Amino acid sequence: MWCIKTSEKEKLLTALKGAYDFRDVSSSDLPPKKLFFPEREITFTHLVKDGSVTTPPPPRKFVLYGLSLRDLEAITCLDEIMSAPEKDYYYFRRRRRALLIGVTGEAFDVPPGGDIIISSIDADTSKLLSVTEKGERAIKKHLPRLKKSKSPQAVPVKNDTMPDLRNLLMDAELLKVAVEWSWHGYKKLWEKLSRECLGCGICTYVCPLCHCFAAEDSVALSGDEAVRCRRWDACTLPVFARLGGGEDMHPGLRERYYNWFYHKFVRGYLEFGRSECVACGRCQRDCPARIDIEAVLLDIVSAYSKSAQRRRRYR
Amino acid sequence: MKNIYEPVTAEIVKVERQSKDVLLFRLRSKGGVPFGTPKRGMHFTPGQFMLAGVWGYGEAPFGIASDPYETEYIELVVRRVGDVTGAMHLLEKGDTMTLRGPYGNGYPLEFFKGSDVILITGGSGIPPIASLIRYIIHNRKDFGMVHLVYGAKTSAGLLMKREISKWKRKIDVTLTVDGPECDWKGKCGFVSDCLTDIKVNPANTVVAMCGPGPMVDSIEQLVNPMGISDRKIFISMERRMQCGVGRCQHCVTGRKYVCTDGPVFNLDEIDRNWD
Repeated sequence: MWCIKTSEKEKLLTALKGAYDFRDVSSSDLPPKKLFFPEREITFTHLVKDGSVTTPPPPRKFVLYGLSLRDLEAITCLDEIMSAPEKDYYYFRRRRRALLIGVTGEAFDVPPGGDIIISSIDADTSKLLSVTEKGERAIKKHLPRLKKSKSPQAVPVKNDTMPDLRNLLMDAELLKVAVEWSWHGYKKLWEKLSRECLGCGICTYVCPLCHCFAAEDSVALSGDEAVRCRRWDACTLPVFARLGGGEDMHPGLRERYYNWFYHKFVRGYLEFGRSECVACGRCQRDCPARIDIEAVLLDIVSAYSKSAQRRRRYR
Repeated sequence: MKNIYEPVTAEIVKVERQSKDVLLFRLRSKGGVPFGTPKRGMHFTPGQFMLAGVWGYGEAPFGIASDPYETEYIELVVRRVGDVTGAMHLLEKGDTMTLRGPYGNGYPLEFFKGSDVILITGGSGIPPIASLIRYIIHNRKDFGMVHLVYGAKTSAGLLMKREISKWKRKIDVTLTVDGPECDWKGKCGFVSDCLTDIKVNPANTVVAMCGPGPMVDSIEQLVNPMGISDRKIFISMERRMQCGVGRCQHCVTGRKYVCTDGPVFNLDEIDRNWD
């Protein structure tokens, strides 16, 4: 850990801008997943002439600057998702070339991810923390004369996004049980939400953890080559679970919207032991129907708790 | 790092028309490399599926219909329903397809051994059952009575008829159609109507199915009272798939991924799924 002045921070960033492609995502609407898992990417190019199949070259090394603690946590979680059951080739060839720099004003005990975290202490001073060896090497290379600070100073705490949901996420098991219960136990909520939700998929696109995708082929107008792409998909969109023959496994918005919650809070818990949510607040901020996802989850857990109490009383 | 989405190129060595809108493709890996790594002499487990595709059109999942002991080729049965299958129907012998797999779990063969087996399927649900039958015939002494009940709307919709006539020497076969023609010699009605004629010892019988949801439900209603529990009824499920490795989320059913946890499930595993 180091304490650095603004001038040293600027020097570090200037050096990094020279050495890497520098992507500042601090004011980006879309989550940082797009740098590793782009909205649309070509996975294969097939040349008709000789039948050859190629994958596009990987990107240059890049710095991802300005990540919040929530986003760092999301990338750590997405790394795990993209590793099971086998590593995702396209995700990890980008991920390995990225240096993640978190920038925050919040206090934290354990860094949630990333390679370097810069925490502002006051107007002129920041705390520089290397989280990984990759981060440490980058700091030592570009700021070689920096002396390690022994006594970390207190960092001011800023307001957290979705604090109530943040608390709920601490008990992923309760969320899992409550969301699973709600499909039959709190039907009127899903009826109500299916009337409100527009099924536009924006919540999934802005989510730093949603990773549904579709494969899409196309042919060049010349007919000389075909490309296979993968693009973001959304489980709330109408054709997501429709079979080639026309049968739809999630025909209504009620099923599709519930499936989004089910994946995040039930299947996510069963697969990874945690909810696939970091309470970043994007889905709530960008929902055109203004559905307050935090309030929905609080409502589900409250209804479940009341129902559980009633069940205990009559047992 | 291995690119798990990269397909191999397979050459079409035979195309056989099965019905008006169904073709059977025999595929050989270009360069003669066999499909999958052999386990106990089998290159896949009956019930497993491949993601086959055509460059420029995409990929789709298909249950493998051929003999799992066959090392030279695999066979896929393709009904023309969408873009990918439409493109496949334009292919001829000597053309190529892309192939990935085999994926999924397949039928639990060890669990089946020593039991009487009822195989139930309809229309184009025959491929995984066909592969299972070929396995059973290959290991005939490991199984008791084996009954195949196969139905379709019309006799023209019954696929793999030549193979079925060969299987009749080794297993009991019942064919049924909803709308029989004048010269139809088999049964009439749904596959569920034919089940009542089959006499089995429920304590030692397993059921393997591949077919649409309503068929599965009606069979469950009939088979459960016979004393065959949901744990002994195995269904091969069909879902939209893009990745085959449990990541794209298209094939989920409740807590399960059809591509990695399935496509074969016992009914008890999926009966209480919310969807």
